[in-house]
Amino acid sequence: MAARIAEEAELKARRKRSRGNSRRSVTLALDYAIMIALAVFFLFPIVFMVVSSFKPEKLIFDDLKTIVWAFIPREVTFENFTSVFRRVPFGRFMFNSTFIVLATVSAGLVINSMVAFALARLRWKGKIIVLSLIITLSIVPLDAIVVPLLVLVNEFPWIDGSIGWLDTLHVQIIPFIADAFSIFLFYQFFIGIPRDFDEAAYIDGASPFAVYRRIIVPLSRPVFATVAILQALFLWSSYLWPLMATRGEDSRPLTVGITSFYGQDVKWAQILAFASMITIPVLILFLLFQKWFVQSVAATGLKG
Amino acid sequence: MNRIVKYLALVAILLLLFTSAAIIPAQDMVELELWYHGGTQEENDETRAQVDRFNAMQDAIHVNFVELAGSLVAGTGYNDAVNAAAVAGDLPCILDLDGPNLYNYAWAGFLAPLDDYMSDELRADILPSLIDQGLYNGKIYAMGQYDSGLALVGRVSLLEEAGVRIPTSIDDAWDLDEFNGVLASLQALDNVEYAIDLKMNYGAGEWYTYAFSPVVQGFGGDLIDKETLSAEGVLNGPEAVAAMEWIRSLFENGYATLTPPDDNEFINGNAAMGFLGHWMATGYYEAFGDDMIVLPVVNFGARQATGMGSWAWSITTQCDNPDAAWAFMEFMLTPEEILSITNVNAAVPGRLSALAMSELFGEGGRMNIFVQQLESGIAIPRPITPGYPAVTSAFFTAMDNIIKGGDIQAELDAAVDKIEQDIADNDGYPIQN
Amino acid sequence: MTRSSRFQSHETVYAWLMSAPALIGLFLFVALPLFGGVYWSFTNKRLISPLPTKYIGLQNYQNLLGLQIIRLQPEIDEATGEAQKDLEGRPVYPRTRTIVRGNPVYEGYREWFTTDVLGGRFVVIARDPTFLRSLINTFTFVLVIVPGQGGLALIMALLVNQRLRGRYVFRTIYFSPVVTSMAVLAIVWTFLYNPDQGLINRFLNAITFGRLQPDWLVSADSALLAIIILSAWQAAGFQMVIFLAGLQGIPQALYEAAQIDGGNTWQQFRHVTIPQLRNTTIFVIISTTILAFRLFTQVDVMTKGGPQDSTVTVIYHAVDTGFRQQKIGYGSAVTVLFFVLVVTIALIQRALLKSDVEVD
Repeated sequence: MAARIAEEAELKARRKRSRGNSRRSVTLALDYAIMIALAVFFLFPIVFMVVSSFKPEKLIFDDLKTIVWAFIPREVTFENFTSVFRRVPFGRFMFNSTFIVLATVSAGLVINSMVAFALARLRWKGKIIVLSLIITLSIVPLDAIVVPLLVLVNEFPWIDGSIGWLDTLHVQIIPFIADAFSIFLFYQFFIGIPRDFDEAAYIDGASPFAVYRRIIVPLSRPVFATVAILQALFLWSSYLWPLMATRGEDSRPLTVGITSFYGQDVKWAQILAFASMITIPVLILFLLFQKWFVQSVAATGLKG
Repeated sequence: MNRIVKYLALVAILLLLFTSAAIIPAQDMVELELWYHGGTQEENDETRAQVDRFNAMQDAIHVNFVELAGSLVAGTGYNDAVNAAAVAGDLPCILDLDGPNLYNYAWAGFLAPLDDYMSDELRADILPSLIDQGLYNGKIYAMGQYDSGLALVGRVSLLEEAGVRIPTSIDDAWDLDEFNGVLASLQALDNVEYAIDLKMNYGAGEWYTYAFSPVVQGFGGDLIDKETLSAEGVLNGPEAVAAMEWIRSLFENGYATLTPPDDNEFINGNAAMGFLGHWMATGYYEAFGDDMIVLPVVNFGARQATGMGSWAWSITTQCDNPDAAWAFMEFMLTPEEILSITNVNAAVPGRLSALAMSELFGEGGRMNIFVQQLESGIAIPRPITPGYPAVTSAFFTAMDNIIKGGDIQAELDAAVDKIEQDIADNDGYPIQN
Repeated sequence: MTRSSRFQSHETVYAWLMSAPALIGLFLFVALPLFGGVYWSFTNKRLISPLPTKYIGLQNYQNLLGLQIIRLQPEIDEATGEAQKDLEGRPVYPRTRTIVRGNPVYEGYREWFTTDVLGGRFVVIARDPTFLRSLINTFTFVLVIVPGQGGLALIMALLVNQRLRGRYVFRTIYFSPVVTSMAVLAIVWTFLYNPDQGLINRFLNAITFGRLQPDWLVSADSALLAIIILSAWQAAGFQMVIFLAGLQGIPQALYEAAQIDGGNTWQQFRHVTIPQLRNTTIFVIISTTILAFRLFTQVDVMTKGGPQDSTVTVIYHAVDTGFRQQKIGYGSAVTVLFFVLVVTIALIQRALLKSDVEVD
């Protein structure tokens, strides 16, 4: 029955399509026009940034006088990039940023999904209170608590016996592993998984942790991917906290590393070269994984 | 998925342990941490070289150079980091600080006085302006290798083309009317876009206070009363209002732009003159050679005034080895090291003996105007008060609002209110002992 | 149920064990600092000060919210006993500052703005006009960005959801600002917004023949707009992906059924797409609202709240007073008020949107 309706619909649609062919091509042209206009809007600052990073400093400004030249590197130089490497340990910044993101995200996936599992699929006292507290905490913006957090982490001991976490990598990792918003996303996904799966496992004598590990986690790849991406984006661009909590080059991430160039003599070409080097790898990653990304978000079914 | 997550978590934990264990303190050697604000590239390179020289010439002390760059221009980024460290009790041994901030840090008890370390001989040889700047409550808390200079620069060829008189020393500086005439004549030249580059690209920040509070003082106003530390009737008095009106007129007349894209408007030839700190002078000289001239600051009527004060070294009270820290500072204050940095950044050498050796700044040197300004007393230190952070922030915010169209009297009143509020919040900054 | 009560206590143990790491993290790094902030907000704690910290009760909150309206009386001409008039016949008023300073009741107050209505001159004075302004700016930002950026994102999602050649490229392009750090983008855009030499005004100049040349960040009239445009530009790609995911979750059969009923493209959009996207839209609205309230980085890098407080936001004010101006106690009070505000709005929003779903 359903198949017949679908077939009919297909037939009707096909007839309609041939009828409206010329109208369709107008719409199509219009769609492309809008899409290209939007693409120009979204891309020009980034293209400008990348193109200018290959220009000598002076030419960047001269070329601003004409819109077209601003986007064409008529004189290509790699000097800005070599200057960046000479002036700051770019590799170290890159390592720090990457390490911070990977460590925080991977640890976060484990602990946030576990608490979400307990909230969504186990029966225990205090669950409602814990859940509402977590939802409330998901609203606290980091910017609002940086000063007390700074004072606090400075009092914490570390495994090597020292007191105070400032100016380290872990001060940029540990405070952000537990994340209320990630828990919320996991919770929403887990609550939608049919109960039958775990009931069967419980009857076979599985522990709740085994259910989490063997049943829920494998069923929840999309939400893991979504949370990982969201957290990674957030951490990759964090600025205020590393600015306050770190000082030396050894532990600073890329976003703070770039401030080395906002000194007394601003070299725009170098700033733009640095910015391009931060941006392009991530863009390539997104281009490679974007189909998979969209599917994950779609399967996660983000909702309020 | 499960296995990947577990694997990643394990790797993360291992890496964490590894990175934290990797830093093993060296034995037998005094380790000192030093924080540096960044500076210009050349300055930065030279300061690093100085630290390396110090580390190489002896093996009892090792200074770890840590650069904390700020946001645009000597910026808030550095102060943010210092404030964060101060609150966390995590200051380094040796701290680089911008002159006027020292009163706040000294008042708060973060800086150790240097008087006991400084020999009379050294003290007598230090440029008097540096002593003035370093003193708080009768003690010296910071000592720079150099002082700064603020001046006008121009190009002889353009000034001659405009047919204006070219002053050669602070005694025959332009007065306000003459200067307005100079600006108009330069503006009229075909090959310049505007008469003067005021370095507005630095944005609302310390530059405004450094460069334009002398203008306010030149008109007879000031930021605060030196005795009472109050701003009431000083920063919002008629003289300060007149100064602000004049500053704003520069933009309204098109003599200057609010939005130069970078530091190079004078070098590019867009601007006929520049109003700048010494740190740009070398680059300008390289661009124009003998065509570039350093001009004395304008006499705005009430008095001649110019800015002074620069980055200086200090020892914090959180330092376990202040003696070792002083050994480093003593090294930095040798005439040789002073000249090695001032030859790079064109700042005024901080010792009279170094000054005498300097080609740039000595008698007849092309930067000699800066020395004249400092020695003749027309250079005025920024307000000596623990409330300086509030004073400068109130001033540069008000000025920024004014040049972007705000009501002059209302903005200055608001600045005064903020300064007064800050004094009240701190119980009048009672002197601590 | 299949599970016994003995099993449930077993479950409770597991639940707490599995929750512990995240709960400890949230407690130490979110709740504790938040409580610290609440505690400090009742003190005059300063970042750098040798003076002891004092408990000052609600003083910080009173300073933040203090607001009064005074009606100015025209100056009286002593000779005639009439109101003084200026050359154009308007009454002459005394300086607000003289009145505020002259009356101990108004101690600590400053003029916020003055307005001539109802045949008189009224002055609104506040203890912290910047904070009140920051509330207005933040709300303006949220009210513009949530529908504006959301709408843009939806349009983009609809466009790139079609089976068009190059759709992946367009998706990547629209998404590209999202993966770039705001601290960096803000610098680049400051450059683009330069009124004389920036690319944006060069472009506007070319298409409007010089008629449209806003001063962008330099003018109090346009600075917030400039921040809004940058923010929408940076984040719209993210909402686009969420909408895109939502669109792909709509069963194709629904569109086909609509076509059978003779629905045109608009009707399909109206009766299939919109209702099916309801949950996605709710998510986008709620998350954008919360993120928009947090506006900070752009402002810090580009304008520092100026000109004339036109871009100061609540979080900026909290960081500026609490950290840069070193008044931790005061900054904490800003934070606490902000938190209360956002939680309230989030709760209202959720209640409204949820009840809407149930009615449907």
